[in-house]
Amino acid sequence: MDTRVFNPSVIFSVMPDLLSYLSVTLLVAVSSIVLGSLLGMGLTWAKLGRLRVLRWLAHGYTYIMKCTPPIVLLFIVFYGLPKLIESMTDYDINDTNRALFAIITFTLLFGAYISEVFRAAYQAVPKGQYEAGVSIGMTPFQTFYQVMLPQAALIALPNFGNSTINLLKEGALAYTIGLIDLIGKGNLIIAQNFGAYSIEIYLACMIIYWIMTLIIEKGFALLEGVLDKGVHMGHARAGGGEP
Amino acid sequence: MELDYGFMIETFYKIWDGIGVTLGLTALSLLIALPISFYMAVIRLRGHKLGTGITRFYISFVRGTPLVLQILLMYSLLPSFLNFALKSMGSSFNIFESVNPFWYAVIVFSLNTIALLAEVFRSALMSIDKGQMEAGVSIGLSEWQTYRQIIIPQALVVALPAVSNITVNLIKGTSLAFLMTVKDVLAIGKIAASYGYNYIEAYLDVFVVYIIVCTIVQLVYRIAEKRIGAFRAV
Repeated sequence: MDTRVFNPSVIFSVMPDLLSYLSVTLLVAVSSIVLGSLLGMGLTWAKLGRLRVLRWLAHGYTYIMKCTPPIVLLFIVFYGLPKLIESMTDYDINDTNRALFAIITFTLLFGAYISEVFRAAYQAVPKGQYEAGVSIGMTPFQTFYQVMLPQAALIALPNFGNSTINLLKEGALAYTIGLIDLIGKGNLIIAQNFGAYSIEIYLACMIIYWIMTLIIEKGFALLEGVLDKGVHMGHARAGGGEP
Repeated sequence: MELDYGFMIETFYKIWDGIGVTLGLTALSLLIALPISFYMAVIRLRGHKLGTGITRFYISFVRGTPLVLQILLMYSLLPSFLNFALKSMGSSFNIFESVNPFWYAVIVFSLNTIALLAEVFRSALMSIDKGQMEAGVSIGLSEWQTYRQIIIPQALVVALPAVSNITVNLIKGTSLAFLMTVKDVLAIGKIAASYGYNYIEAYLDVFVVYIIVCTIVQLVYRIAEKRIGAFRAV
């Protein structure tokens, strides 16, 4: 086999082609994050709630999801869901957009990961805050919404950012079920060139992902700075250097 | 939904043949990554300028890109690169036929794990009081002896929960080795499924196997944490 010379200019010449499919990647990631956060809130509510059955179910679900390789879950959803739906109803969803399967998979995963983040953040807010709120006559819901939630959200923010980045990276697996996203398009271009330029094209995809992660990291760091306006208890500001 | 239970049970046993590859890949990658990532952490803590720059760049790149892309890249890069290197040295060794893809997988997962572990070790070492090193050196131990006998045991207690997480993630990550034609748990399930199109049954089997393995590994780490808890810095 002949070794072909590495051609760095290809990295830049395929970028526009790849970037036009970035929207698919982002659609999957953003939908999964939004839906997964909702699922995560539900799971957190179940974990902190009084019903033992719900607590067990939520913890069990989280444990199982943490042990499952994303690709295995993706395959189970992709092959299993159409079968399941066909047996219960008469719908055939085999021909629906593959993005749907990817979004379902990553929602299931993200919900489990993020419920742990939410739970830890909520439990990090001192209980006295809740008691104080209720004792001055606020309803439990008001106390939750106006006192607990803002503080918990701030604590959760760095980990939420991390989970977002992890989800974005796991979302790269969506091409394995035939979704034409960033990597899917890259593979198509490679196939059109009869397997040539694979190194350059994969590198181009990596650079795009790398830039996205750096932007998300920076964005969350900025957001944290903006939101941390004294809503926090004093000790958390000790490292900040401000009086 | 009707599942082919006979096939499921049969495949469940067949899949365990791949567990050696999955765990071997995990263990080898961890073993290779341990010393290198520790060295990287020490470089960064000492504040060596060029070394810090290079390791930061490397860690940021690995953590900023999907594992699946790292695999795809290395799998198209490594064989031809090695072939080119050997050819230019005048060797007639045929890389494409005689190297088991398992070794490419070891390289990819090691490179990935190095970056993750380096961060963990750095924060673990940072949590140890500087006075520990000074005390060790002042009573006549060499720097290496102080590291080995005083700093590392304490840092290990701090690092172990994160190392446990990395190990579990690595086991999950090795499921992608099938992209490099490595015959691990997932690959065996996939092959078994493709004869009769029993994909869902095979993947459910794989799913159960991973949960069992992951539970055992976590239990082992839990026991290890208890045992080395004696070194916890007070």
